[in-house]
Amino acid sequence: MARNGPVALIFHTLVVLFMLAPLAIVCLVAFTPENTLSLPTRGVSLRWFQAVFAHPDFVQSFWNSLWLALLAATLSVVAAVPAAIAITRYEFRGREFLNALFLSPLIIPHLVLGVAMLRLFALVGATGSFGWLVASHVVIVTPYVMRLLIAAISGFDRSVEQAAYSLGASDATVFRRVTLPMILPGVTGGWLIAFINSFDELTMSIFITSPSTVTLPVRMYMYATESIDPMMAAVSALVVALTAVAVLLLDRVYGLDRVLVGQH
Amino acid sequence: MSFLELRNVMKRYGSLDAVRDFTLSVKRGEFVSLLGPSGCGKTTTLQMIAGFVEVTAGTIQLDGRDITRAKPNSRGLGIVFQSYALFPHMTVADNVSFGLEMRRVPKAERAARVEEALALVHLDKYAGRYPRELSGGQRQRVALARAIVIRPPVLLLDEPLSNLDAKLREAMQFELRDIQRKVGTTTVMVTHDQAEAFSISDRVVVMEAGRITQIDQPYRIYEHPETEFISRFVGKTNLLPGTVTASADGGATVSLAGIPVPVHGDGLGGGEAVVLCIRPEKLRLTAPGQGRVPGQVSDRFFLGSQWLYHVDGPLGTLMAVSPNDGEPPLEPGAPVGVDWSPRVVRLLRGGLPASAPTLEELE
Repeated sequence: MARNGPVALIFHTLVVLFMLAPLAIVCLVAFTPENTLSLPTRGVSLRWFQAVFAHPDFVQSFWNSLWLALLAATLSVVAAVPAAIAITRYEFRGREFLNALFLSPLIIPHLVLGVAMLRLFALVGATGSFGWLVASHVVIVTPYVMRLLIAAISGFDRSVEQAAYSLGASDATVFRRVTLPMILPGVTGGWLIAFINSFDELTMSIFITSPSTVTLPVRMYMYATESIDPMMAAVSALVVALTAVAVLLLDRVYGLDRVLVGQH
Repeated sequence: MSFLELRNVMKRYGSLDAVRDFTLSVKRGEFVSLLGPSGCGKTTTLQMIAGFVEVTAGTIQLDGRDITRAKPNSRGLGIVFQSYALFPHMTVADNVSFGLEMRRVPKAERAARVEEALALVHLDKYAGRYPRELSGGQRQRVALARAIVIRPPVLLLDEPLSNLDAKLREAMQFELRDIQRKVGTTTVMVTHDQAEAFSISDRVVVMEAGRITQIDQPYRIYEHPETEFISRFVGKTNLLPGTVTASADGGATVSLAGIPVPVHGDGLGGGEAVVLCIRPEKLRLTAPGQGRVPGQVSDRFFLGSQWLYHVDGPLGTLMAVSPNDGEPPLEPGAPVGVDWSPRVVRLLRGGLPASAPTLEELE
C-alpha cells in the first residue's frame, strides 16, 4: 500500500476531525452539570441522563423508534431478498421498471414523501396508525437493502447452487442451506443500514406521526424547537452509543468490509 | 452394453444449434472425454447430461431409464465443476457430507463415508478446514470427494483441472484416473486439453461446432485422425496437399510439389486431391542428399526431452521432432535430408478445405 505524504495526512486528519468533532462534543456536553449547553468544566454529572429517563415522553418515543426500526428493517429485508433475486437473475417484462421503482425513494425528497403519505393516510382513514408508519418506513429503507442485496447476489457463482441440486437438494433446501448463507453478509448489512435509516428518519416522520406514535427524532425536534438544554445532548449521546455498539457487533461477527462493500 | 446413452441429442439457442446429432453410448466403468475447442458444445452436452440445460430434441438414458426431462436433483449424478463450486460457508467434511444428508444417510454411516472419501483424495487431515483455507489442488480434491461420496452412477467432470498450474495438473491427471479406477465410476469429462484427454480417457469424443467428428481411443485419434481439423487440433502435424498420380492395389503415388511419394491406401483414383498428414516425430532428419526431400534447418526449439526443428524445403516448412539423445543438435542453416516411412503417412481425401482453420483459431 502506498504511504501518504504529509499533505495527504493533514487533509485526512482534518476530514476525520470534522466528522468526529461534533459527535465528541455532543457526548461531552451530555455530562455537563450546568443548565446550558456547555462543556463540563466544573466536574461531571449524570443529571441530564437521569432527566431523559425521568421524561416519559422520551422513553415512550425511544420504544416507538426502536420497534419501528426493527419492524421496518425486517419487513424490508424479507420483501427485498426475493425481489433482488428476481431482478438480478431473471429476464422478465417490467424488470427495469421494478428495479427503478424500488430505488426511487432515494431520489424523492422525504418532505414530498411526508406530505404524500399524510394525504394517503387521511384518504384510507389511517391517520396516526403505527402499522402505516411502519409501511412508509419500509418504503424509504428498501432502496438501501436492495442495493446491498443486488451487489451480493450479482457476485454469486451459480454453479454452487447447481452443485447442491446435483447432490439431491430441493429448491427450498438449496435456498436455506446454500443461497441464504452465502448472501447473509449482504442481508445483514442491508438490515443494519435500514435500521439506522429508519431509526433517525425525521423529515417524513414529522408529517405522519401522531401523539401516540411520535418517534425519537421527532420528539427531539419538537423539544428542541421549544427549549435547548443539555438533555438533547444526553439523548444524542445515547443514540450514538447504541449505534456504535450495533456497528461494532456487526464488525465482530462478519467484518464491516464484507457487509458494506459486499466482498466475500 | 451401454450404461449412459445419448441419442440424437440436440440443443438449440434461438437459431443457433449449440449441439446437434449427438449420439454416444458409454459403457459401465468407462472414462470418456469430450474434447474440442471452446464453443464446440462440449460443456453444453455435459450440462444436458447433468440436467442444467434443457434438451431441445433427442433422449438421454441412464441404465435403461429415460432421464431426458428429469430434474437435476433426481438424477443422482456426481458433478465436479470447473470453479469447484464448494460451499464456502461449510467445512470440508460438511461439504462432502451434504449429498449424504440429502439422501438421509444415518449420521454414523455418513461420518464413516465422509472419512473414507476424504482418505481417498488424501485430505483426511483437512476435514475441519474451510475451502478458503485450502490450495487450488486441495479444493479440486474436495470437489471430487463430494461428488463420489454419494456413489453416483455417473461422474461428470467439467474442465476439472484447468484452474491448476501445469505441474499440479499433470499429477492430478494420474490421480484422477487412479481414483476413477478404484471406485469404478463411469465418467464423462469435458476438456479442451488434448494431453489431458489422451492420458486419462478410455475413449475420446472430438467435437467441432456442435457436432461429433470422431469417437475413438486416444491412440487411434492421434494416429488416425479422420479430418484435417482433428489432425491439427490433436497435437502438431505436417499437412501436405498433393495429387494422386498413379494408383495400384493397396497403394498409390502422390505428387507433392512435383515430388513423387508412395502412400498406402485403397481406391485412390488418379488426379484425386489428397492431403498427407505426417506427425513431426515421424519425420527423420538424415544426412544431406539422403531421404525423400532435401531441406535446410531454419529454426530449432528445445523442448527438454526433444528438439523441434523447422526445416525449409520444396514442400514448404516442415516440423520435425528428434529425441534429445545427448548428441549436439543441428545448427540453424544446416542442410539435411528429410525421410519417413510410407506407413506413418495418414491420408485425408478431398483436399484441404477452402477455409482451413489456423492453429491460432483452434486454441
